[in-house]
Amino acid sequence: MSTTRALVILLVSLSFTCVIPVVFTGYNEVCSSEAGSEQSTEFRNKVDTSKLSGIEYLIADMYNNDRVLYAVVVTLVMATLGTGMAFLTDLVLKALGLEVSRISHKE
Amino acid sequence: MHIFDIYLPVAGIEFSVVLLVAIGFCVGTLGGFFGVGGGWIVTPALNIFGFHMAFAIGTDLSNIFGQSIGAVRKHQKMGNIDWKMGLISIITSVIGLEIGSDVIISLEKAGDVGVIVRWCYMFMLTSLGCYMLYDYFVLRSQQLKNTDSSDPGAADGKSGRRGAANTRRLHRVKIPPLISFPASGIEDVSLWTILLIFLLTGFLSGFMGVGGGFMIMPALVYLIGLPTTVAIGTSLITVLFSAAYGCFTYAVKGRVEIFAALIMLIGASIGAQIGATAVRYIKGYGIRLLFAVMIILAALSVGTEQFYKITGKHFFQSLAGIVLMGTAISMSAIIMVKLVSESTKEKRSRKAKIAQTSDNESRHV
Repeated sequence: MSTTRALVILLVSLSFTCVIPVVFTGYNEVCSSEAGSEQSTEFRNKVDTSKLSGIEYLIADMYNNDRVLYAVVVTLVMATLGTGMAFLTDLVLKALGLEVSRISHKE
Repeated sequence: MHIFDIYLPVAGIEFSVVLLVAIGFCVGTLGGFFGVGGGWIVTPALNIFGFHMAFAIGTDLSNIFGQSIGAVRKHQKMGNIDWKMGLISIITSVIGLEIGSDVIISLEKAGDVGVIVRWCYMFMLTSLGCYMLYDYFVLRSQQLKNTDSSDPGAADGKSGRRGAANTRRLHRVKIPPLISFPASGIEDVSLWTILLIFLLTGFLSGFMGVGGGFMIMPALVYLIGLPTTVAIGTSLITVLFSAAYGCFTYAVKGRVEIFAALIMLIGASIGAQIGATAVRYIKGYGIRLLFAVMIILAALSVGTEQFYKITGKHFFQSLAGIVLMGTAISMSAIIMVKLVSESTKEKRSRKAKIAQTSDNESRHV
């Protein structure tokens, strides 16, 4: 790819990106004094489970009562989903003809 | 846009699913392609859009852990991982990281060190980026002079980078024990040299409070002499293990929003696979050029953030976030365009070869 083409893509994407925060949060929110860390939620050590149900309740309850179990679940779930998604994406890429094999390491 | 919002019970906020998937996808693509974690993009991005900083870091680390698994698997398939080097890197970087964070803690007692750290971070990113750009343009000019050579790699003879001179200098140090890395094609290098390099990158990571992937990859290429693709895969090993550790410890402290991390991981896993696959189609010097541009833009974002600290105007803080996300989206776009164009070219040439072979056979008959 020529450098010019790469620069054009870079510029177009950069200009497009400026629109994204405005679309999702609104210009006033992005540029107001509320933006950033000040807008963020307070850090809470306990989750209010009274309005939750199903899986949300289970996870929040675990978070409140057994933090080590919560950490184990988070780590295992992330590893499992990471592996599963990688496997699925690999299949899709293979179907698109983007299969990889051992490559030569020439610069 | 609120139809895409989801309630995240642990963080206690509503957040856009589309935004989470998009952030994940960009950071996954960059992670798989450059061998970095990408925490420097996700953490500020989540924070800007309303996450508490504590949740932003923990959730980001969980996502990096998940996405790195797929990227490591893919790089392993391509033979891009030097496990021996990766193991040494993990152990030594952790020691360096501890020293770096201890230095920061003792400096904090003397006063606010945030400004110093940000300036150091900016200096590191800019100087590293400029060096890599210089390296690229010198190679290009050498290639233009050398009409016989069709590959810029040939300009430097073996490795295709000026940093090879640094590598040769460091490899001349023969303090025993000497160690070889067959997977990287490195023979008889002093173990002390390797340990010192990783100790330094670990120290800088701890000092600046960053993951370190963006320092390990160039260090592996320019100081130890690994081919760029192997440096990417090996760097990912360090990223994977440190993110796994970070994911667990932050979750124990209650600072991981599991639902956000899971949604982000959907985009990140796809991105990581695409990024890792793109490595196959882009040559080492091309990857280093994109990496250089990316870290210079990241330095620009840190500089803008610094303006916010000085002037107190929130416009600069928002601008810093926009530049950072712009960099991530732009780089992901370039990587994807390159992947599509190069793979299409490859398919066409393969078809042309098959057609030519069958044509020759029919003539022969």
